[in-house]
Amino acid sequence: MSDGAPHSVSAADFALVARAAAGDQRAIGPLYDRYGAVLYAVAYRIVGQAADAEEVVADAFAQAWRDAPRFDAGRGSVAGWLTMIARSRALDLVRARTRRDRITASAAADRPEHSPAMGDFRPDPAGALEHAERRREVRQALASLSAPQREAIELAYFEGLSQSEIAERLQEPLGTVKTRVRLGMQKLRECLRPFYFERGQ
Amino acid sequence: MTRPDQDSPRDLAAAYALGALSRDEAARFEAYLATSAEARDEVSEYREVAALLALGGPESAPGRALRDRVLARAGVQSAPPQASAPRASGGRAREYGLWVALAASLLLVMGLGAAVLSTARQLAAAKQIAASAGQQLAARDATLDAILAPGVQLVQLTASGDPEPGIQLFWDRQRHRAIVNGYRLRPVAQGKAYQLWFIKDGKPVPSVTFKPAPDGRASVGTVPLPADGSISAAAVTVEPEAGSLQPTSPILLVGTLPKS
Repeated sequence: MSDGAPHSVSAADFALVARAAAGDQRAIGPLYDRYGAVLYAVAYRIVGQAADAEEVVADAFAQAWRDAPRFDAGRGSVAGWLTMIARSRALDLVRARTRRDRITASAAADRPEHSPAMGDFRPDPAGALEHAERRREVRQALASLSAPQREAIELAYFEGLSQSEIAERLQEPLGTVKTRVRLGMQKLRECLRPFYFERGQ
Repeated sequence: MTRPDQDSPRDLAAAYALGALSRDEAARFEAYLATSAEARDEVSEYREVAALLALGGPESAPGRALRDRVLARAGVQSAPPQASAPRASGGRAREYGLWVALAASLLLVMGLGAAVLSTARQLAAAKQIAASAGQQLAARDATLDAILAPGVQLVQLTASGDPEPGIQLFWDRQRHRAIVNGYRLRPVAQGKAYQLWFIKDGKPVPSVTFKPAPDGRASVGTVPLPADGSISAAAVTVEPEAGSLQPTSPILLVGTLPKS
């Protein structure tokens, strides 16, 4: 039997979502403590601005609270589910902002050089260490891709472009873009497998 | 014009997990996903990869106040930062342990095959029951405790011919009781009610009767299980509202019970 085991949802995460689904608001705090930092990283990367990123994270948890009864462990982990929600809220915000900017003709993006200091977020040293280790591994894995592979993956994930839109933007054949996405993601998977959020439960 | 048909569906898993398929491509890929457990595994792994991508970006962390905002948005009063740890009070610690055990038992149920339903529906049922137990926190917690206690298994009764209505039985072997949660049940005629049957040693044993609310929901808090004998299934028929000793109409919903 090979199915089930590798990507089974961690019992602790599942219990938290089950509690949220059952209307237990106390489950949200622990979920935030586990995944708030990574949701913020997703949101910040997409919206490029601290205040908007925080709004996205608050939105994402509110949506997770509402959608908890529909969480399906068969489709992936709690971390995967939450980051998908945050990404989609962040892309919504950027699209709304683009529309608004077009109207007001003020296209200047607000990208502050400094984000709030690290160390605020994680009170426990072990968690901070793990977080830092993950960051390092992800950077290394991304650095191991070719620049075009990395670009295609980042345009898809952080700008919400489809492969066809990426091909158009880069003036490259669609097939080339598809291959870059596929091979790049395969490589990332090989490098990052030990660092999934699911690890260790 | 793009021609996604030319891609082997397996090649699309990574792009799908990244959200890089067009709406049409995604819809087609989802149809394929429904048929392939292997592809679902692959997508769920690529989602793990995608979830990590943002950590490769610039260092960033939310302000301390965000936690409170998140909790406030979910309708929660501000809690101390260490809310994740079990508190010293006995009740909370006990509850926490219970919930962890419940997760394990729910996961166990998910592996049972025929009698299993999706996690999403399990969770929805828990929420529904929690809501129907009234607004009082104590009452709600008690109901949840009952549904989610260790060893309680969830059995799905499905309707023959029509996948829509359903009944979930939370099956508590240790305490010899079950909790009934029905949804999308059709209204019954005047003087009639749904009746639950346990199939014990191959014979139907009468159990409770119940009527659905106008929204199609029905729940019965505590249904005693027949003592002794081996119960292999549960079924529902429509009977006179006082209940019958033997079924007088065809089975509407049925589900097999996990072996002890």
